[in-house]
Amino acid sequence: MILKVENLHKYYGYGRKNVIKAVNGVSFEVQEGDIFALLGLNGAGKTTTIRCILGLCKKDSGDITYNGKYKIAYVPEGKDLYGSYKVKKMIEITKSITQEFDENKCLKYINEFKIPQNERVLSLSNGQKTQLYLSLVLSQKADLYIFDEPTWGLDPVVRNRILDMIKAIPLEGGTVFYTSHILSEVERVADKVAIMHQGRILEIGYLDDIKESFCAVTIERSASKSSTVPEIDGYLYKSTEGEDIYIVKKAYAEERHLDFQPVPFEVLFEALVLGQKSQEQDKTV
Amino acid sequence: MWFAIDFSSHTPVYVQIKDNIKASILSGKLKTGDYIPSIRNLAKDIGVNINTVARAYRELEIDGVIRPQRGEGYVVVGVQSEQIREELKDELLKLLRKCKASGIKHDELIEVVKKVYSGNGGEEFDT
Repeated sequence: MILKVENLHKYYGYGRKNVIKAVNGVSFEVQEGDIFALLGLNGAGKTTTIRCILGLCKKDSGDITYNGKYKIAYVPEGKDLYGSYKVKKMIEITKSITQEFDENKCLKYINEFKIPQNERVLSLSNGQKTQLYLSLVLSQKADLYIFDEPTWGLDPVVRNRILDMIKAIPLEGGTVFYTSHILSEVERVADKVAIMHQGRILEIGYLDDIKESFCAVTIERSASKSSTVPEIDGYLYKSTEGEDIYIVKKAYAEERHLDFQPVPFEVLFEALVLGQKSQEQDKTV
Repeated sequence: MWFAIDFSSHTPVYVQIKDNIKASILSGKLKTGDYIPSIRNLAKDIGVNINTVARAYRELEIDGVIRPQRGEGYVVVGVQSEQIREELKDELLKLLRKCKASGIKHDELIEVVKKVYSGNGGEEFDT
């Protein structure tokens, strides 16, 4: 275990009415060699969770244990570097303030990405800025690399290149914790995921296990309303003219002898997140 | 070794890896005693996390398809018996679906299964 977060709470705002529960009792563990993705819609609490882990904001309660030998390497959401500095100077500065910084490795990345060393940071494109930031961070020796939305705003070619770099981290003994709201990307990169929504984790585990443990069942609406058939314990995904489609645990469907179909992760995610929303609305009504 | 992984498929990635290796054995690309790529190399080649490849190999080992060679990686044992069993089960599944669709009750089918496995009238299926 390299990182353990237990019952983390972080609230924003004052008074009883205006409190935003950004992180509301989140627990998870990241193991060595994992590529762990924290997945959720905008505003789910992903960035706040990262900021608490890094000590960039003060948690209200909960425990965070980090077991690494080196400091955590981190690429924040806004990839801001010193705009007036040339790339060369940026590398020098990073070297002077970072322990265990491998300058040669960094220059290798910079050359690979064809980032001009004499260019000022502010005149680089968005993609180049991200590539520069990643080059700097990946040249830092670390046990744990944290990326907050690392591919935001990048074109597909650059994005794939970045994803390949992230994928390669465990091959060199590192561990990755990153956030994203792009499902197709997470499926390609992560082996473990946590689905976060409104400050809570709805589902967590190996992506393969999550895919395998859920399925879709189709219930005729007339049947679901009759008193003999109890309500379905799952997330309502969709309703057609005469049917309701639920996402349920496969074990549950088998137990109840319901016909089920496998579902793609995207459908699963949508059902979990939107289903959760409707449940919460019900409660407040 | 390379094969394409469909990351957006509902089939788990580790299952896709297992299926591809089994297919390579069945088609003769991999033969009994051949080395398969190390976990690390396959992970690199197909762009999958090490943990996921490790899981596929672990399960292939349990299924008796591959075995670890001390300090040297994994070698192919074979896929024969296990494959035939799976194919038979698939056939049965199709048949059962037809039975269900044509209105044969669950209990009736269970009776047939019981008959075969208890040995009464099912001698030809004895194992």
